[in-house]
Amino acid sequence: MMKEKRIIVENLSKKFRIGAKKNRNALAQLVSFFSKNTEKDFWALKNISFSVKNGENIGIIGKNGSGKTTLLRTIAGIYEPDKAGIKVKGNLVYLSNLSNGLKPKLTVRDNIFLLGSITGLGQKDIKKKFNEIVDFAGLENFVYSKIHQLSSGMIQRLAFSISIYSLKHSNPDIILLDEPFSEGNDEEFSRKALNEIEELTKYERTAILVSHKIDLIKNCCNKAIWLDKGKIVKQGKADKVIEKYLKLTNKII
Amino acid sequence: MKAKIFINKIKGILGLSLQLAKADFKQRNEGSFLGILWYLLEPLFMLFMFLMVRNVVGQGIPNYPLYLFLGLIMFNFFRKTTSDSIKVITDNSGFIKSIKLNHEAFVVSALLKSVFSHFFEIIILLFLLVYSGISILNIVFYPLVFFFFCFFVLGISFFAATLGVYLKDFANLWRVFTRLLWLATPIFYASKLISKLNLPFDFNSLNPLYYFITIARECIAYNKVSQLSLIIGAVIFSLSFFVLGFIVFEKFKNKFSEMI
Repeated sequence: MMKEKRIIVENLSKKFRIGAKKNRNALAQLVSFFSKNTEKDFWALKNISFSVKNGENIGIIGKNGSGKTTLLRTIAGIYEPDKAGIKVKGNLVYLSNLSNGLKPKLTVRDNIFLLGSITGLGQKDIKKKFNEIVDFAGLENFVYSKIHQLSSGMIQRLAFSISIYSLKHSNPDIILLDEPFSEGNDEEFSRKALNEIEELTKYERTAILVSHKIDLIKNCCNKAIWLDKGKIVKQGKADKVIEKYLKLTNKII
Repeated sequence: MKAKIFINKIKGILGLSLQLAKADFKQRNEGSFLGILWYLLEPLFMLFMFLMVRNVVGQGIPNYPLYLFLGLIMFNFFRKTTSDSIKVITDNSGFIKSIKLNHEAFVVSALLKSVFSHFFEIIILLFLLVYSGISILNIVFYPLVFFFFCFFVLGISFFAATLGVYLKDFANLWRVFTRLLWLATPIFYASKLISKLNLPFDFNSLNPLYYFITIARECIAYNKVSQLSLIIGAVIFSLSFFVLGFIVFEKFKNKFSEMI
């Protein structure tokens, strides 16, 4: 039986207006001091097409600035596409690193309640899960500390922990994960986090993962897409795409 | 089915905005020496300042402290909510860029935050009622006026939030505008004073704030029901500004994440 398609992306393009510099003489520069900066179109994504079936996990790899995050945000509906369409079947959750949304002057407790409700947990759910979230982040002794008093690793752990628990709770058909953990976590936590992500992407759930951690993609995804400068370089079986990608990057090094 | 989805969405927006407002409220008072006492002190300072010069500015106005205080707190509510809304989207860019949310919640949270501090002002108002020897029960009419006033303020706030994303200068422009409006609205002087300016039109009748403040004053301080034209005017202002502001916000909100 053919599996149902969860996400269909067809000829997707997305542009941004970015600042540009023009060569100008002194007078023009003086005049332009009062006018708006010149801008030019920058195509972050060009003619991207692919589809994801139910239960499939796709990893997106590529250099910084190749359009990975833009692609996920456009699918999630945070950005509007400029051309063509995206079809999504089922409920979808997009999560990226939420640590810069934490309020530095509030306590860990207050931040869990704030971030929890932003990611869609109700007050009761947060109360129920509160201890688990704190335990997972390993911050039992810091519940009443302010965020600005924590180390950056602790902040990352807290943000990840809240995200994972709200994801588990909302139990969506599709998850889009954008670089779910950043660098700077110890081995123990990284392994714990990896397990959680593997657990989440199992079974019938569809997932798109953006990560620079090739191992994570290898473990969780059966397909992969390699993006460069807003275009798909290669898509297909995860092992093969990763192999090609690594070959190229190793060559450069 | 559709109605259920709609109700759930409204519930979600309200729940989230309450949490946002709470967090912001806590954050603002964090480390402050007098903390929430400022919510009482600030309007009290303003009240005493004007009471000192009441013989100059408030001549011939019965129940002047109440007249003045209602004007002060209602305008303050308007000013605070709208100016907070200008920044609310850019201030929360961390969330807006990294998760799909109902953007309306941020604007509603700015309103709720002002509602919190409005409570403190209402407490002072109750004391003033006792002091002026007016029935404290008159306050029961206020929620109704305030309800429509909130929709009016929310409508303007939706406008302000949208413009704040696109136009950096809008915050400054709005600060100047509200200062002018503050002087142009009969807050500390009698409302008929404006007619002495010999303007070619009746400014008060064009000023939505005049409607809401006057209705509140008449029912709370003077024990009477306002003219029907005033009440109808207030309802029309409230609903039309709300609908217009909301439409503008809805039209532009999907572009916010790229602008911040």
